[in-house]
Amino acid sequence: MATIYVCDREGAERSIQGTDGFSLMETLRAGGFEEILAICGGCASCATCHVYVDAAFLEKLSPMSLDEDDLLDASAHRRPESRLSCQIRVSDALDGLRVTIAPED
Amino acid sequence: MTLDTLEPVRLNVPTDDVDLFCDDILRYPYEAYARLREKGPVVFLTRHNIFALPRYAPVRTVLEDHETYISGKGVGLSKFGNQSRRGTPIASDPPLHTKRRGLVAERLSLRSVREITPDLQRQADVLVGTVAEQGEFDGVADFSRRFPLMVMADLIGLPQDGREHLLEWADAGFNLFGPPNERVAKSEERFPEVRDYIRSLEQPGRLRPGSMGAAIYEAAARGEIEFDQCGPLIMAYLMAGLDTTINAISAALLLFGRHPDQWDLVRENPRLIAMALNEVIRLESPIQNLRRVVTREHELEGAILEEGVSVLVMFGSANRDESRWQDADRFDVKRNPVGHLAFGMGIHNCAGQTLARAEAASLLEALARRARRIEVGEPEWHLNNVIRGLERLPVRLVA
Ligand code: HEM
Ligand code: FES
Repeated sequence: MATIYVCDREGAERSIQGTDGFSLMETLRAGGFEEILAICGGCASCATCHVYVDAAFLEKLSPMSLDEDDLLDASAHRRPESRLSCQIRVSDALDGLRVTIAPED
Repeated sequence: MTLDTLEPVRLNVPTDDVDLFCDDILRYPYEAYARLREKGPVVFLTRHNIFALPRYAPVRTVLEDHETYISGKGVGLSKFGNQSRRGTPIASDPPLHTKRRGLVAERLSLRSVREITPDLQRQADVLVGTVAEQGEFDGVADFSRRFPLMVMADLIGLPQDGREHLLEWADAGFNLFGPPNERVAKSEERFPEVRDYIRSLEQPGRLRPGSMGAAIYEAAARGEIEFDQCGPLIMAYLMAGLDTTINAISAALLLFGRHPDQWDLVRENPRLIAMALNEVIRLESPIQNLRRVVTREHELEGAILEEGVSVLVMFGSANRDESRWQDADRFDVKRNPVGHLAFGMGIHNCAGQTLARAEAASLLEALARRARRIEVGEPEWHLNNVIRGLERLPVRLVA
């Protein structure tokens, strides 16, 4: 089990437990972060699951697909540490991960 | 080897002799679906010679495993239909699938859809204004069918003349996903017209420059797709974007009409609209059933599936599976419908879903601004082998 620290849009931080195999998006929603709309259900087509990932962890994540890159480009709030949380698989290697939910587009 | 020796394989799963494509079931499918879900995760349908998957979990497994369950042998149940769609994204496997889908992916991307969204919203406002002044109107012909037809024909860049037949052809095209029945036979008859229309598009200048249709022919000029595949690909995109979106919109009218409390919730908080749409198509999934073909013998939820057998992916039934959805038959805009399968899942997940969402949301937002109540009369269902949707719906908007 990985503990993940999440900063919501109001700036409040809270930790949640991630289960192996689920996506970070699913984990965030299950943890009550409903600001993550995930309108497309995790198929990388809506960008409503946009988060900023703590730089120290960026390299531990699976690389970004072209689709994800394109979608993030469509966001006015893209930053170097932007990722779509539906494209991140939670595993023990992510224990201690810090993410911030990006502003809505 | 007689046919009988195949029986033991089939008999390790429950069977059912329902005809999922007969009039009665197409009109009211949900009791039959519930019976199949009750029987088991894999049910052999004797009439269609196919292993049906009525529950959520196996449908998801199949959609997410495109190597064991392929689309390239056709996702429909009739040979003619499968032949007619050969080489289009929905009926192909990687690597061809990746290429064909990629060809116009940019046109349907979030960025492209955002660019046209203000236009969609303006047009939606006009349409809602028109029907609001009309008093009673037909929610299907006067409303739901208008919008996607205009949007898709403009996007593809189709000429004005000939557009009047597109809906009939799309309906016929979707019927062709069904098993050889009367609806398929009637639809086959329309094929020559469609072929002639496709040919007419090949003449230079017929498709609006800069349109998605024109882009497909430009890709052919660059050698990325064979010239004679362009027309079928254009028709595939057109069809995919018509009856699906149309029926999502008319289902929204019906459901919000019948559940004014849910409409109140959406009007008070229009931010719910995007999720409410997911809930609408969870409950009334525009595409109900498609096929996959098994590539290797394996076990699925206790059923042994041999290489070459077909499975029926039951989107509409999976979306009402009580083991996945609490109170599955209830329309609840506050539930979390994420994970519904109405747009599919995996590599074939709907390529046009961002556009479909933008169209439907534009209309619902415009309705929410104008109509306190959506009053609906008795619906009449339109019967199509795989599309669930309405033929007529009397509607009156109350300001
Ligand atoms: C509410 C409206 C819509 C619904 C419910 C819907 C549903 C679906 C479903 C269930 C699939 C998966 C098929 C499979 O797994 O074999 C699909 C695929 C597809 N849809 Fe949609 N669709 C809608 C709107 C649209 C629109 C507007 C377009 C085009 C602009 C479109 C284009 C496509 C294409 C091209 C595919 C094939 C993708 C592939 O195989 O890779 N759809 N759709
Ligand atoms: S949930 Fe839609 S892109 Fe991640």
